[in-house]
Amino acid sequence: MPHRRLIIDTDTASDDAVALIMALRWPDVQVDAITVVHGNVPLEQGSLNARYTVELCAAKTPVYEGAARPLLRAAAHAEWFHGPDGLGDMRYPAPRRAPAGQDAVQQLIRRFGEAPGEITLVTLGPLTNIALALGVEPRLAHWVKECYVMGGAACCVGNVTPAAEYNIWCDPEAARIVFHSGMKILMVGWEHCRGQATLSAEERAAIYRLATERACFAMDCNRAALQAGRELQGETGLMLPDPVTMAIALDPAVCTGRRPHFVDVACADELTRGMTVVDQLNVTGKTPNIEVCWAIDFERWKAILVEMLS
Amino acid sequence: MTRKIIIDTDPGIDDAMAILFAFAAPELEVVGLTTIFGNVQTHLATQNALRLVEFAGRAHTPVAHGAEQPLVIPYDRIPEIVHGADGLGNTHQPAPEGQAIERTAAQFIVETVMQHPGEITLVPVGPLTNLALALDLEPRIVNHVQEVVLMGGAATVNGNVNPAAEANIWHDPHAADQVFTAGWPLTMVGLDVTMATTMDEAYLAGLRATRTGDYIYQISRFYQQFHKLAHNLDGCHTHDPSAIAYLLDPTLFTTERGPIRVITDGIAAGQTLLDRRRAWLAPNAWSDLPEVTVCTGVDAERLLDLYRACILRP
Repeated sequence: MPHRRLIIDTDTASDDAVALIMALRWPDVQVDAITVVHGNVPLEQGSLNARYTVELCAAKTPVYEGAARPLLRAAAHAEWFHGPDGLGDMRYPAPRRAPAGQDAVQQLIRRFGEAPGEITLVTLGPLTNIALALGVEPRLAHWVKECYVMGGAACCVGNVTPAAEYNIWCDPEAARIVFHSGMKILMVGWEHCRGQATLSAEERAAIYRLATERACFAMDCNRAALQAGRELQGETGLMLPDPVTMAIALDPAVCTGRRPHFVDVACADELTRGMTVVDQLNVTGKTPNIEVCWAIDFERWKAILVEMLS
Repeated sequence: MTRKIIIDTDPGIDDAMAILFAFAAPELEVVGLTTIFGNVQTHLATQNALRLVEFAGRAHTPVAHGAEQPLVIPYDRIPEIVHGADGLGNTHQPAPEGQAIERTAAQFIVETVMQHPGEITLVPVGPLTNLALALDLEPRIVNHVQEVVLMGGAATVNGNVNPAAEANIWHDPHAADQVFTAGWPLTMVGLDVTMATTMDEAYLAGLRATRTGDYIYQISRFYQQFHKLAHNLDGCHTHDPSAIAYLLDPTLFTTERGPIRVITDGIAAGQTLLDRRRAWLAPNAWSDLPEVTVCTGVDAERLLDLYRACILRP
């Protein structure tokens, strides 16, 4: 019997898919549900990609579709990064199963409400579904055991604007609601997938040599992301922000430095839209609302990835 | 045949006056109250809604606890000067016996509307957050409500928080903009008409002949002091009860049609801006949006007669 239960909210494109594989394969974890949100790709495409990944893992996890657009703003997808289908345009076949429903927000409320304090939430996309669920049912904040958020950039550069990381930038109002909800949150910024955390050509080749369908899929579907990261962000290795966050959720020891801080999200103007403003030195004197990941164990993260793709 | 209504409410003195009006009207069946912040915080709104259904002998009416914060902006100004710290004119009523149902307001609205397609009229008389959340949960409610009749906004007159904004809309302008542009049949009963109808001291005293009327008189004492202070008025404006009056007799009102957008930012945040011209050389943010009905005139005397007749009905 699995010891831990997860619900994953995802805008399933290439790195999301790898993170889903990791969670679905982790021995003592049961993924109760996957909720899909707009983001990297339009909602319908994200739903297709999530279901394809679930079937690749021979799992039966229900996939629910949620918000198709941010709370207030127009949807802004990132096919330019992940490829037209979000999975490197590899022309994977359509999944066999239909979505389990279009009521992701209701499912979040129902499932966490039925097991308060027992289920961990991992968010890999914009936080629209979670913000809506909190609006409808504020107690959700305390029903979630803990929440790992892939999003933001703590005191460092952004990837979609100089100030902001994509997931938070997409729906900054939603992120602000979630961060101030009282939910126990660890924010894992996109900086933790850069530099030493990227997969080098040798490491990617080693994963291909695992020769499992999952391993090849994990690398193939990220080929557009690899190229975009190289051309647009000057990163020669493959960046996998969602899998890094998932590795921490599965094995918290991957995170080697975490501290609570007051963190707010800039919503007012385009220059700073979606910036995660971390009060690192507590200059505001405000009570910390979430925890921020400051450092990860690169070797441990990569070992987990390889193990889950083997 | 009675009309099924859900009142979304932040009681609130005029909310109480409206809810008791609806309970007293045989033409209406109140299938539930959903609560919202605004005049008071949501937790107190829920307590007061429960107090009201129990006072009215309708304790079986479900009360669903609603959103505690606006969609985007913070809720940080509670108008205790208008409604008192307890929301009911500092009448300090005992705690209610019942409690809210397990489902939240947005869920209750979605469920009820979808279970009774075409039969439910939503009557929001507070900020519109719960309705916006319900639209997000189940967009099909747009085609399944009978109509939406809301108290809020100001189309042809100033606001009451500032020149631009009426309080209900001002508390959550983002939600209001979604509700006004959702494409469902919607009527706005705003300050254009609610401030044109005054319940003066003699009128309120004349309600005391029944238990319900006496309750209304008691809670209106504080409200009347506020109106004296703010408007130099010896009486109370008829805000939320006017929405119920529209349900009972729409001929009390004259109306206009047009699209409304709600200003969400800047000095006019919360303004309900009605396009009264409808012919523009170039497209704008109102173009192609669904029209709503806006009450711009009222027969105040007849409205007050209708209210009194209901409240004094034995």
